[in-house]
Amino acid sequence: MLAYTLRRIAQLVPVLLVLTVAVFGFVEALPGSVLDTLIGTEGGDDAETREILAKEYGLDRPVHERYAKWLVRTVQFDFGNSLVTRRPISLELMSRIPATVYLATVGIMLSMMIAIPLGTLAAVRRNSAVDYTAQVTSLAGISIPEFWFAILCVLLFSLYLGWLPSSGYVSPFEDFWGSLQFLILPAAAIGFRQAAFTTRLTRSSMLDELSKEYVDTARALGHSERKVIFKYTLRNAMIPTITISGLQLANLLGGTVVLESIFAWPGIGRAIFEAILQRDYPLIQAGVLVLGCIVVVMNLLVDLTYRLLNPRVKFA
Amino acid sequence: MTGDAHNKGSDSTRRSFLKASTALAGTALAGVPGLADAQSPPKKHPKRGGTLRFGTREDTIGLDTHRNIIYFVSTPLTGITGGLVDFDDKMQPKPAVAESWEPSKDLQTWTFKLRRGAEYHNGQTIDAESVKWNIERIKDPKIGHAFTRSVLADVERVTVDDKHTVQFHLKEPHAALDINLIYYPVNLMSPGAVDTADTHPVNCGPFKFKTWRRLDVTELVRFENFWETDSEGSNLPYLDGLVGRPKKEDRVRLTALRTNEVDLIDNVAYADAPAFKKDHGRTFDTWPVPQVGTAMMYFNLKNGLLSEKDNPDAHLLRQALAHAIDHEGIHQAVFNGIGEISKGFYSSASPWHVKDIEGWPKFDPDKAKALRKKAKGGDERLTIIANDTFPYMQQSGEIVHAMLKDAGFNVVLEILPGPVMLEKQNKGDYNIDSTANSYRLDPDGWYGRNILSTAPETRRRNGYKNEKADQIILAARKEGDRAKRRQMYADVETLVNRDLPMLYTHFVPLMMASNKARVKGYNVSFSGPWSYTGAGMRRTWIEG
Repeated sequence: MLAYTLRRIAQLVPVLLVLTVAVFGFVEALPGSVLDTLIGTEGGDDAETREILAKEYGLDRPVHERYAKWLVRTVQFDFGNSLVTRRPISLELMSRIPATVYLATVGIMLSMMIAIPLGTLAAVRRNSAVDYTAQVTSLAGISIPEFWFAILCVLLFSLYLGWLPSSGYVSPFEDFWGSLQFLILPAAAIGFRQAAFTTRLTRSSMLDELSKEYVDTARALGHSERKVIFKYTLRNAMIPTITISGLQLANLLGGTVVLESIFAWPGIGRAIFEAILQRDYPLIQAGVLVLGCIVVVMNLLVDLTYRLLNPRVKFA
Repeated sequence: MTGDAHNKGSDSTRRSFLKASTALAGTALAGVPGLADAQSPPKKHPKRGGTLRFGTREDTIGLDTHRNIIYFVSTPLTGITGGLVDFDDKMQPKPAVAESWEPSKDLQTWTFKLRRGAEYHNGQTIDAESVKWNIERIKDPKIGHAFTRSVLADVERVTVDDKHTVQFHLKEPHAALDINLIYYPVNLMSPGAVDTADTHPVNCGPFKFKTWRRLDVTELVRFENFWETDSEGSNLPYLDGLVGRPKKEDRVRLTALRTNEVDLIDNVAYADAPAFKKDHGRTFDTWPVPQVGTAMMYFNLKNGLLSEKDNPDAHLLRQALAHAIDHEGIHQAVFNGIGEISKGFYSSASPWHVKDIEGWPKFDPDKAKALRKKAKGGDERLTIIANDTFPYMQQSGEIVHAMLKDAGFNVVLEILPGPVMLEKQNKGDYNIDSTANSYRLDPDGWYGRNILSTAPETRRRNGYKNEKADQIILAARKEGDRAKRRQMYADVETLVNRDLPMLYTHFVPLMMASNKARVKGYNVSFSGPWSYTGAGMRRTWIEG
């Protein structure tokens, strides 16, 4: 397993290298320049000022030279400074990533806490009221746009009932219980939607597993139904659920821009979005690279989890 | 803040919930025309203390107040800035760091006497040398933001007479240098703290910097040695501190105010403003700011179909466009009936407003169609661009697009992010730009920078040139008599409305709202919360 893990980590290098080239190329290809942002309007857009600023920010150098310079610094964990805020990018990222990881992780945990019992129950009691309820609820979760559900939650729980704050963020490291109050609504908005997908997946995986011969064998051997379901069937059925939840988590790390706006949540998605709008090249590159690393590591962790669920899984 | 979040809004009812749900589902709220002024000046005695939580649409993009535009309405960081001159609620210049000032007879040298004892936040004295250093730093193209530099374009050099006297020597006579120096945007920072300008700025405004996390929070604390005092000699500001909470979405901010998570917000959406005032006026004060800017359709005169360089019938085509645009439609659909339709740059609330301006061509779809058919290029494709940052620019672009389609124009609309907009403007890759410009304290800030043909922005943006307008603008710059200047600029507006390098559409109003029970003493005028002697954030206190 150690050799497998090390091999997978080594495989990250070319993946990340390709990612950096792709991101650099993508950012270069965007219309509009950070120089336009820096120069602004009303009096600065003469060739001389443009030249001075391009030199000041190293934008007068050819693309490949800038890329090489950036790569050399990045492998030393030096992302440089934001062109817009002029503050260290590591500082910008480190103030954002914990908020995003916190939200995405709790959101996915919530989703699994809903989806696994509900999906399992729906499969075990197929065509019962529980099954129909689970199917309708998950269909509603898939159909309702996440932002709309979030807004309804805000209206109900913040504005009408006054139970929870409508927006904002408190770091769990500063005030854990306080942070939970701000976390509940955005995490619920994420969790409900993701649970809708995962419930359906868990149900169909469970139905698949329940139809296999080993389940009949276990029952014939006289194992209790509880043992058959929880010890044998669910563990096998969890593999696709874990895979999807891992991908959902990875997706959420950079993909909660809309929810971050609704809940004024200072996450990495919004920071990268703003950086793209302002053509803050180094921040976009660093942000996407860090997210890429997280996604790749998440995939690795998901793969390693298979082994925990089913010891017969062999790592090639 | 956490505890406050549990406080149920006192006016939360099932009806309000349903009403809000309905609004979110896209149903238009019932409009109530006009906005009454907020409460009359406070009768209660000011209290020192309290922290005001301010929900804003924008946040600063960086901390160095010379490098970045510190937008005066919406940016909490503005609280740290201060400068030589302030203004009052009538938009007249008032002493700030400079106690007095005087221009030479030829208006080419301005002498400022500095206030003794005025300090930067780190205790460094604000002396003439430091003022000189600030002006030179702002004028450095590697550092100063272009907008800020542009207001100092006429300053040739700054000299120090003595520790408390500084002189500005201008390239050309200028009657309004003092207005240009008002602390937005020409603000002063401590030369001794320049190394921390991007991480911990040290300026001289009413509040000191504490922390900033972009798009999350700005924390400021009272500057105890701020120069301003109230009528009883107590130091201003009254507030212990200020916490800025940027919340970009208008309804997210409004909800945060209603759930008592913030005390004051800016930019209540035009669609929500009348209903909010009607339904929640007992709990919340509303503060209408009549004009933070002026919206318009810029026509590209540098090149393309609307430029005389490429199309001999360009003026005819611009007239056709003007006749096709229904200002009342924009007033109702975009601004929800709030504010005023504009015929010039200054609204009726401004001291620079002039009534008798010859307006733009009236809305007349039939005439628009006839002129379009008559003009060369009337069937060719026109491109409207609009900035995606400001909803009213997009919405104005959308409604103008629809109006022009109705008049038979072949027109497309592109809603674009800022850098792409700038690139298209620089290259002249557009025909019509749905845009706006911020309020200028002195008219030269508008006409001298956006209408004068030699001004860099005019050259960059639309290439308008009218020799008569140029002569008037340059003469007005040297005119000391305010009434005469006002009339001169009115004459320019008439020329603009005839030539149509742009079509003024509407003044950009803004409504702020605050928690009536907590926020006391607050008042605003044109520039939002920051820029006043005797008003705004400096005179605000928190009750309870």
